[in-house]
Amino acid sequence: MHLGATLRLLRTDAGLSLRDLARRIGVSSAYLSRVENGVDAPPTPERLSAIARELRVPSSLLMDVANRMSPSVAAYLEEVPGAGALFLDIAQRRLSGLQLARVRDFLDAEFPVAQGRRDAPVPPLAPLLAPERMVLQLSCAGWDDVLDVVAERLASSQPGADVARVVGGLKRHREESSCAVGGGVAVPHSFLPGAVPTAALVTLATPLAGDTPDGKPLRVVVAVLDAERGNPQLVRLAHLARLASRGLADRLLGLSQPAQVLSSLEELEALR
Amino acid sequence: MHTNALALLILQLIVIIGLSRLIGRGARWLGQPLVIAEVVAGIVLGPSLLGWLAPDVMNGLFPASSMPVLTMLSQVGLVLFMFLIGLELDPQLLKGRGHASVAISHSSIVVPFALGAGAGALWLYKSLSSPEVPFSSFVLFMGVAMSITAFPVLARILTERGLLQSKVGTVAIACAAVDDVTAWCLLAFVVSIVRASSLAQAALTTVMALGYIAFMLMVVRPFLARLGARVASREGLTQNVVAGTLVLLLASAGVTELIGIHALFGAFLFGAVIPKEGRLAETLAERLEDVAVVLLLPVFFAFSGLRTQIGLLNTAEDWLTCGVIIVLACLGKFGGSAVAARMTGLRWREASAIGILMNTRGLMELIVLNIGLDLGVISPQLFTMMVLMALVTTFITTPLLKWIYPLEEIARERVVVPLPVEPGPPPYSVLMCVSHGQAGPGMATLARSLTGRDEGAQLHALHLVSPERAPLRPAQQRDPEEDGALMPLLWRAVSLGLSVRPLSFVSAEPAQDICRTAKARRADLVLLGWHKPLFSQTMLGGTVHEVMQQASGPVAVLVDRGLSDIKRVLVPFAGSRHDRAALALARRLRKQAGAEVTVLHVTSDLGGNGGARAQVEALFPATEGGVTLKVVRSDAPDEAALEEARHGYDLVIIGIGAQWGLEDKAFGLQRERIIRDAPSSLLVVSDASPATAAEPTSEASNDGATAARVLPARS
Repeated sequence: MHLGATLRLLRTDAGLSLRDLARRIGVSSAYLSRVENGVDAPPTPERLSAIARELRVPSSLLMDVANRMSPSVAAYLEEVPGAGALFLDIAQRRLSGLQLARVRDFLDAEFPVAQGRRDAPVPPLAPLLAPERMVLQLSCAGWDDVLDVVAERLASSQPGADVARVVGGLKRHREESSCAVGGGVAVPHSFLPGAVPTAALVTLATPLAGDTPDGKPLRVVVAVLDAERGNPQLVRLAHLARLASRGLADRLLGLSQPAQVLSSLEELEALR
Repeated sequence: MHTNALALLILQLIVIIGLSRLIGRGARWLGQPLVIAEVVAGIVLGPSLLGWLAPDVMNGLFPASSMPVLTMLSQVGLVLFMFLIGLELDPQLLKGRGHASVAISHSSIVVPFALGAGAGALWLYKSLSSPEVPFSSFVLFMGVAMSITAFPVLARILTERGLLQSKVGTVAIACAAVDDVTAWCLLAFVVSIVRASSLAQAALTTVMALGYIAFMLMVVRPFLARLGARVASREGLTQNVVAGTLVLLLASAGVTELIGIHALFGAFLFGAVIPKEGRLAETLAERLEDVAVVLLLPVFFAFSGLRTQIGLLNTAEDWLTCGVIIVLACLGKFGGSAVAARMTGLRWREASAIGILMNTRGLMELIVLNIGLDLGVISPQLFTMMVLMALVTTFITTPLLKWIYPLEEIARERVVVPLPVEPGPPPYSVLMCVSHGQAGPGMATLARSLTGRDEGAQLHALHLVSPERAPLRPAQQRDPEEDGALMPLLWRAVSLGLSVRPLSFVSAEPAQDICRTAKARRADLVLLGWHKPLFSQTMLGGTVHEVMQQASGPVAVLVDRGLSDIKRVLVPFAGSRHDRAALALARRLRKQAGAEVTVLHVTSDLGGNGGARAQVEALFPATEGGVTLKVVRSDAPDEAALEEARHGYDLVIIGIGAQWGLEDKAFGLQRERIIRDAPSSLLVVSDASPATAAEPTSEASNDGATAARVLPARS
């Protein structure tokens, strides 16, 4: 999984320059640039938290993208070593996402968390999608065609929206590398004042061998149309990157019915 | 005491960098850019404050003997810095921003230039210059010095205020970029004039400078583009590449210095020609920025501070002059750009914001002033006044901007950067929908004839796979033949020299997806393949019917009977809008492929053909030729058309309609004889779009009647 590409995407979307973000989290811009390009190791959990704070996204999201254990988990395990046995139990049962969500529901009911202690839940992707906004097993000549297809799907869901404008917004992603988050997933996004947030999903029958950050060919494109820039959009972006790191592309490959995609997605993001 | 020059230099660096960072904290607290702090630190260290309070300390710290070293160091820093400025200059900023930016940036140079030159000519030359300085040099230099805008400071202010994405921000940054280039070219020109001893020499310098710019653009830029491509591939920016770039940079700076324009211009030019695509520019900037900006640039500021002697302004009159210069500078720059911005249609608030932003002079002004002082064009006294002017104009930018353009305005104005609108009519575009491979080649042939010499035409090929038949294995493990429905089309396209963009995906609602794709691609024509219907008698049922119902433009079904070259085309014509769409396609074939078109008008009485003839002539001007109109009297139009179709045509283009026995119905019992029995290939056309205004209105009633007769189900 490629954390750097996600960080770059989040940073540019938040309107921060490399220098700005580096200064705010107290590292050199050269280091941050190396992290974004994947030349340097992913930042420590503490640094990731600082970045998440500056970008105003839940730090647990970035930890997930980086496959890092949150420092609070490590601290808790040190404090209550017995908890490790419970994690082991879960691991042995090989619980799926939906089952884990049930476990968490139980925890929520039994041991409610004090208000404000937990990050606000991340809104899921599935409700933004609809069968008519999924194009499955697309094969096409290049990235431009993918953008055209998703733009048309996004625009047709917005009454009175101009396809050209949506395409124009998406075409900021001139190359797939500019919005790829690794794991074979790219997340182009566009803005249209007054639009209801919607997403379109494309799976590629023939992977696009572009210049992706982790070198994996592009197989899934999730495009999001938003009314305006803002924090919810950043959080969604980070969530998409997390889904990518959880193997979104592998799961959706070979599915040919939108309903299958939706249910697969719901399972994947049951735990947010 | 200070016998060791190196120790002294190191001490100076420590003091300079330390002090500017210290004052920088204060500046940040005031919401000011760091440049202010650095300039103030220089002035504090110089004769204006330190030299005034404790002359011994200043002379100890910055003895005259150490000045040459500082001068050289600051010049090297400036060369690097100007290179960075050039690197930040993205030519995309200069292109495609429309009239607004061009008008604003021009007037934001011309007005202050005129004011500066005017003030210099009428007033300052007499009072503040010496007779040795040539009048023309002084006036030109004052003009340039007034019209500078600090691109880096502006960019930093915009970033910090989150304005880069806003309309004001994009316009301002584009204008600043234009200003930057223009001002540096002007300055190079002025420097060449000042340095030249004669007019001939000045002309020679200018010619050489222009030659050098051309050389950089024509020869060096392509080379750098290749270098950039190498860096962009994963090997990255090695130290060898950095060293090579630095050597080229120094060479460029050296050449311009030898030519007689300033070394800084060469550095700027070299930075500007480095391609901004790829990561070369970005990576280079990251590598060099810290050394140039943190270490070397403060030396330059300290150096200019040391030359700024506020003590020289010792009379009320001097201060008044200084004040007038500041007012003039602001008036020229702010007024010039704000009025121009207002005239291009921005609101006053936005226009003023742009004016305020353009008024930022920052360190670019200091660079220009130092050049002027070095050349002896301006006196130390005027230099001091101008430094104060630069300081004040930079200082007031942020608070003024906050005042006139508060955050809530920014939030309102924040927009996604508009894309430049493509000029001209959109290219002709055809969407070819292939369900079975064998339909492909004929479609490619037809598309070739339809687009012929039209280079910009866009051809799309679409293949929809039904979910049941979608392969379960990913494409990598599949045989290439398996999903080859598009391949016959693409092969034929390649042999015809067409470029076709293929597209294929799983779809449960093919008709809807075809219409969507056609809309997204702005297809002027949707071409469908035809295959023998399975359940229904009618050939135009099923998906074809649905597409014709839902499409917003012309839809044509190709019945391919070995279509290879389209030379003779038959269009049976009765006047419905579908027939007109068929005629329009025939006209395209005539224009693009030189096909010979025969229009067959079938009428029940020979007298009533006037309307049809007029319609045909409207679509085929008589001057073009190549069109034959045949009028046949028959009570069974479809029979007549079929009869004519047997006479060796390559393609029959026919609109749907009951008179031809072609109805647009989901399930029909019509025999559609013409499709079955015609020996040639057929193109069955349906046009859903309402009749265009260009068509003769006299036929409207007739047309309406036909349409109502043909399509009873649609209303």
